[in-house]
Amino acid sequence: MTMLEARGLGIGFGGVRALDDVSFAVREGEIRGIIGPNGAGKTTLLNVICGLVRPDAGEVLLAGEPITGLKPNVIAGRGLGRTFQTSQLFRGMTVLENLMTGLHGETRAGLFAAAFGGRAMLAEEERAREKAWKALEFVGMERFWDRPAQALSFGQQRVVEIARTLISEPKVVLLDEPAVGLSLNRLAELDRLLRRIRDERGVTLVMIEHVIRLVMGVCDRVTVLQGGVVIAEGTPDAVIEDARVIEAYLGRRVDARRRAS
Amino acid sequence: MLGYLVLSGITTGALYALVALGVVIVFKATGTVNFAHGDLFMIGGFLAFTFHVLMGLPYLVALALAVAAGFGIGILTDRIAFRPLMRANLVSLVLATVGFSFILKGIARSVWGGKADLFAFPPLISPDPIFLGPLIIIPQQLVAIGGAALVMGAFAAFFRLTRIGKMMQATADNPKAATLVGIRTDRVYMYAFGVGAAVAASAAVLMAPLTLLYPDIGFVLFIKGFAAAVLGGLSSLPGAVVGGLVVGVVEALAGGYINSSFLEVSAFVVIMVVLVLRPTGLFGATAVRRV
Repeated sequence: MTMLEARGLGIGFGGVRALDDVSFAVREGEIRGIIGPNGAGKTTLLNVICGLVRPDAGEVLLAGEPITGLKPNVIAGRGLGRTFQTSQLFRGMTVLENLMTGLHGETRAGLFAAAFGGRAMLAEEERAREKAWKALEFVGMERFWDRPAQALSFGQQRVVEIARTLISEPKVVLLDEPAVGLSLNRLAELDRLLRRIRDERGVTLVMIEHVIRLVMGVCDRVTVLQGGVVIAEGTPDAVIEDARVIEAYLGRRVDARRRAS
Repeated sequence: MLGYLVLSGITTGALYALVALGVVIVFKATGTVNFAHGDLFMIGGFLAFTFHVLMGLPYLVALALAVAAGFGIGILTDRIAFRPLMRANLVSLVLATVGFSFILKGIARSVWGGKADLFAFPPLISPDPIFLGPLIIIPQQLVAIGGAALVMGAFAAFFRLTRIGKMMQATADNPKAATLVGIRTDRVYMYAFGVGAAVAASAAVLMAPLTLLYPDIGFVLFIKGFAAAVLGGLSSLPGAVVGGLVVGVVEALAGGYINSSFLEVSAFVVIMVVLVLRPTGLFGATAVRRV
């Protein structure tokens, strides 16, 4: 079953087409890599999918339902999580409190119940705390639960952010360069974590990544963007051999020779 | 003399602090200063006057009704002066709140009388001062200080312990991430305006028995509260409380020792001194981040 689908997505900023007729489909339970040189439109693509940016053409479907043009919080409520290159944890809150915000969208208690306590409210709060704790255990960060979020290393903050997206039991999580700046050991841990998120939580993952080792190891399929256009798609092994991909990253050899002569 | 001035300074300061809390919570959530905030205070006071004096309801009932109505009018502020312009620039937003301030003032004048009308709110308890050694205490002052402390406590608990409070904190820190974890940020802005106005209304009801009510009281209180908020760093809740107390005491001392006409000016002097010496305020290391 197709879990996430982009159909003919396009968006322009001024005269630049940041995305042009981008289409792809991600199966349920797949880990999809999105690669491409800097400026290829990868982050713009994630921004369009999660609703931060409205496309001027095309549509996005989540589990078969169109989500194009909905507000980010509504899309999040439909089961789409997102992390960023730089940590977007809330400062001034502990790690556990940060995770609990991941459930705030679905609170049913009204304002007055929330403001004046109430048993239902307290029960809900307790449930949120339990879920947050479980998610922390899942990513192996429970010993940091009462630390202020900004006291963690950048790598740890990214893992907490991943845990925050998991707490609301999303269908799909978009990851923007989760491996930036990680050591080889940490990279292996992230590789394992991403597989466990897919296998144990049944979450479909779509990730932008420059660290080819991680992409080759963990992704089922890879989509290659260049200049806002999809230039290749396939298994990591096939894509890495693709002439257009090599050209996108390294430039065309023939051209170089011609220019030299 | 000193004891009396400090005590009355703390009394008015505690009420300025409540006004400042409203300014700060709206600023933290939305990045805008609500110039209609003082008029929300004023309307709260007049509503309490209507409920208590004109309709004869008990003081506490009038207080509860005025606070609830304040919350509603705060939400109205969001709907009229903020939400339609959310994506506009800061100047338009601020001007919209200034406009809303005039609307509220106009409504108050047409409902409760002309420009110079002053309304006396009967004291709750015996107005006779108590002499405690050299200290002269007006019991109503203690009621106001106690009431303000209660409201502050409730406010802090609301902000720290409830989910809505956490949502506000999250939205204030990072609106983009907040919306992506599923928080309805437009709702949060609405609550910020509502809660801020409710706190302002409670301040008005506590202050009314100590002073007179008039339609222009809103701007006076707004300037005091704004000075307190700026002193505290504009985005710090404890800063707003400390700022309120400082402005109140400075004002009382300036009025008592220098000249009573200094009383009105001192809040402006505080704003100027803070902006020159410590632009981020006493508590606001991050105050410059948003504007």
